[in-house]
Amino acid sequence: MIFQGEERRQMPTTPADPLRKSGDGDGPGKPDVKRPDTSDLLKRMKRVDPDAARRYRQRSGQ
Amino acid sequence: MTRLFGIETEYGIVVEGLGANDWIAESIAVVRAHPGKAVGGWNYRGEDPRRDMRGFTVHALSTNPDDAQFDTPGTNSMSREEERSDRVLTNGARWYNDHGHPEYATPECRSLRDLVAHDRAGERIALASAHKRAEQRGLEVTLYKNNTDFHGASYGTHEGYLMKRDVPTETLIQTLLPFFATRQIYAGAGKCGIENDGAAPSATTFQLSQRADYFSVEASVDTLHNRPLVNTRDEPHAAARRYRRLHVICGDANMSEYTTALKVGTTSLVLSLLEEGLSAPVKLLDPVRAVKKVSRDRTLKTLLERQGGPALTPVEVQRIYLDEAERRLRGRDDDTDWTLTEWATVLDALETDPMLLADRLDWVAKFKLLDAFRQEEDLQWNDSYMQSLDLAYHNIDPEQGLYYGLEQAGEMRRLVTDGHVQAAMSCPPADTRAFLRGLFVERFSGAVRSIGWNGVAFKHNGADFLFDMNTLVEENVKVLNEEFGSLETLDAVVAAIQRRPSDWL
Repeated sequence: MIFQGEERRQMPTTPADPLRKSGDGDGPGKPDVKRPDTSDLLKRMKRVDPDAARRYRQRSGQ
Repeated sequence: MTRLFGIETEYGIVVEGLGANDWIAESIAVVRAHPGKAVGGWNYRGEDPRRDMRGFTVHALSTNPDDAQFDTPGTNSMSREEERSDRVLTNGARWYNDHGHPEYATPECRSLRDLVAHDRAGERIALASAHKRAEQRGLEVTLYKNNTDFHGASYGTHEGYLMKRDVPTETLIQTLLPFFATRQIYAGAGKCGIENDGAAPSATTFQLSQRADYFSVEASVDTLHNRPLVNTRDEPHAAARRYRRLHVICGDANMSEYTTALKVGTTSLVLSLLEEGLSAPVKLLDPVRAVKKVSRDRTLKTLLERQGGPALTPVEVQRIYLDEAERRLRGRDDDTDWTLTEWATVLDALETDPMLLADRLDWVAKFKLLDAFRQEEDLQWNDSYMQSLDLAYHNIDPEQGLYYGLEQAGEMRRLVTDGHVQAAMSCPPADTRAFLRGLFVERFSGAVRSIGWNGVAFKHNGADFLFDMNTLVEENVKVLNEEFGSLETLDAVVAAIQRRPSDWL
């Protein structure tokens, strides 16, 4: 379970991943975002209004 | 990649205390609240969504009759320009209201990395506009990057791909149908429930795709109603004798960077195969039925009947395209090789254990997250709470959205950094004509009368000019970008345009 901190299984990393090459000297790296533990995510889910989807109405788009 | 591509996202909108009959006005207000530099006035030259690539123009496009309930007759006196409220941004993107949805169209990109960065930049630009509008209104404004309201209304996330005009239209359609019917096994964003099935919307199923419920024909020019798997709109936004733009409407709104890159990368490779002469390597007996069957089977074992052979699973259908692409396209460029490698990796994992892909595919990440919560809270899939959590996955506010929560917890694989996304909010790609569009917005906005995908109309020294960008779609536009980027005055730009050889192609 994601909330219990179980270690995630990982697919093998592609050895040559062009999207991770820089190309311009400023290539992708680890995201510079803070990393709360997954209990924060559980709290976030519990804050979701259970009736949000029931009230959610939109016009048709393309 | 060797072609231009982009993504257009129609966002779902909620303003505290208001309803769907307010969404056109509120969507306009959100767009107009954009806090950054922009130019108004879209140039529609060459645009006609009724024109069909099969060689005819329809009288009118289908509309959804259900939307009439949200309109008060006689109250809409706005011009098209007022209603659209176009904003062309310094990064070359378009930000506007489309049918009551704030819509962000990325600038044209040539690499998957740029496209991912600009798609995510669109989320931040949309969020900044929503926050500004919330300040003005004193009410909370929430935007969702998804495709359904769970009550039968859908709104799109479209992809645009520039391709050679000389691929026969029928070959294009027949080749794309099996591919589009099955690519949702990795490109789907996941959805709780079934809609548009001749019965009341049901929440009992988690399916792979947000959009699969909404397709009823194989090919047509419509987008609002009676939607097709292959949209045949003929708006090349480029020199029409040489190019067409494939307008893909059957895709989902992806939050995952990896999914976005894989979706666009694989589709671009299939178009490359078409340009090299491939013709429908497999034909399904009923692609429209197949798209729903595939979406509603998380085991991915559903069998799809085809012409001239035994039925195939969706993974097997995808492997036919992958094998052709591997054989013909490997080594072409870095994006091509990345796509081929990841396509194979993902298909292998989907056949063994899809949950292995929870760190990169939207539908898997969403299913794993929601199912864990469902079990922990002892909920059933048909509890509307589950659909609310589904909706929350697509909330673009990083402090509230569940996808963002996964990302912040390090659960999702990233392809670009936040720095790249930040840069893409104001800077266009350096290797496409979007650079020139952005340059006019950044430096010469006072002179601009209107801007479109294929040109800029501006006034200078009392004279009207049209900078035609229809032919500026190949990689050699970089030369022009470098030259124009060094020009400080409009005089110099006009002189450079007039020096430009007429045979740019």
